Amino acid sequence: MAAGPPRTAAEAYRPNRFVSLPAELDPDTYDASPEKRRAEAERLAIRARLKRQYQLQLNSPNPPAIIEDPALLRWAYARTQNVYPTFRPTPKTSFLGALFAIGPILFWAAAFKAERDRKERLIQEGKYKRPFSLF
Amino acid sequence: SEMSKDLMPGPYPRTPEERAAAAKKYNMRVEDYEPYPDDGFGFGDYPKLPDKSAHERDPWYQWDQPDMRHNWGEPMHWDFDMYIRNRVDTSPTPVPWHTMRKHFLVFLSTMLIMFGLGEIYPSYRPVGPKQYPFNDLYLERGGDPNKEPPVVTHYEI
Repeated sequence: MAAGPPRTAAEAYRPNRFVSLPAELDPDTYDASPEKRRAEAERLAIRARLKRQYQLQLNSPNPPAIIEDPALLRWAYARTQNVYPTFRPTPKTSFLGALFAIGPILFWAAAFKAERDRKERLIQEGKYKRPFSLF
Repeated sequence: SEMSKDLMPGPYPRTPEERAAAAKKYNMRVEDYEPYPDDGFGFGDYPKLPDKSAHERDPWYQWDQPDMRHNWGEPMHWDFDMYIRNRVDTSPTPVPWHTMRKHFLVFLSTMLIMFGLGEIYPSYRPVGPKQYPFNDLYLERGGDPNKEPPVVTHYEI
């Protein structure tokens, strides 16, 4: 089978969940089409509006004691109080829940029971060597 | 908290209007806003931002919070506290990650295999029984000094 076209540097790098593609290898950073520019301009407008709100509060003559960050409050709320209302039992969540919540309990119960039974059997047969025996 | 319910995260958005409202709520463009897939895992309508750590953000830009490299009101990543600069770093590496992993696994497996082989097939320098001088320590072991000690030779010529 032929080797095919040579791989680009970005493909040879193979970014994954743990490392990102460097900007020098990313073709997206080189093309600045009008759509991308408009998108960047809109993002900049949002960012500038938020910065203005923040600076007005920060530099006001009577600044509040704490300038609350709504993004931080939303983040905290989403991770704590919004999980239970949005949770839904699906096959995947049920399987994972059983695996991580019930699995370890059953595993360790079986492990400890087997260990204790083995020790008891050895003691009954008289073959158990006491580890910290003074004799 | 004292923020109204419609400013807080909510359930997964189903209609395009809900999507637009959620994007506006999170201070994002509608095209940028992408919620987590509706698998019932508890994410709700929280946006799925790219998994990039704080190390990758511009160090020279005037952030509102320079240590977190975060601006006021900017949507935070779900794993924001994992991606701070003291913790997980996803910035690009000089060597590709799969190359690093391959080198590390080759080294680790070589060392483990060699250690394992050394445990199964140990090898020591050859040893013999200990040889004592003075006719096997005849006087030190309580031999009679007047009697002739039995001659002990440890060599062969």
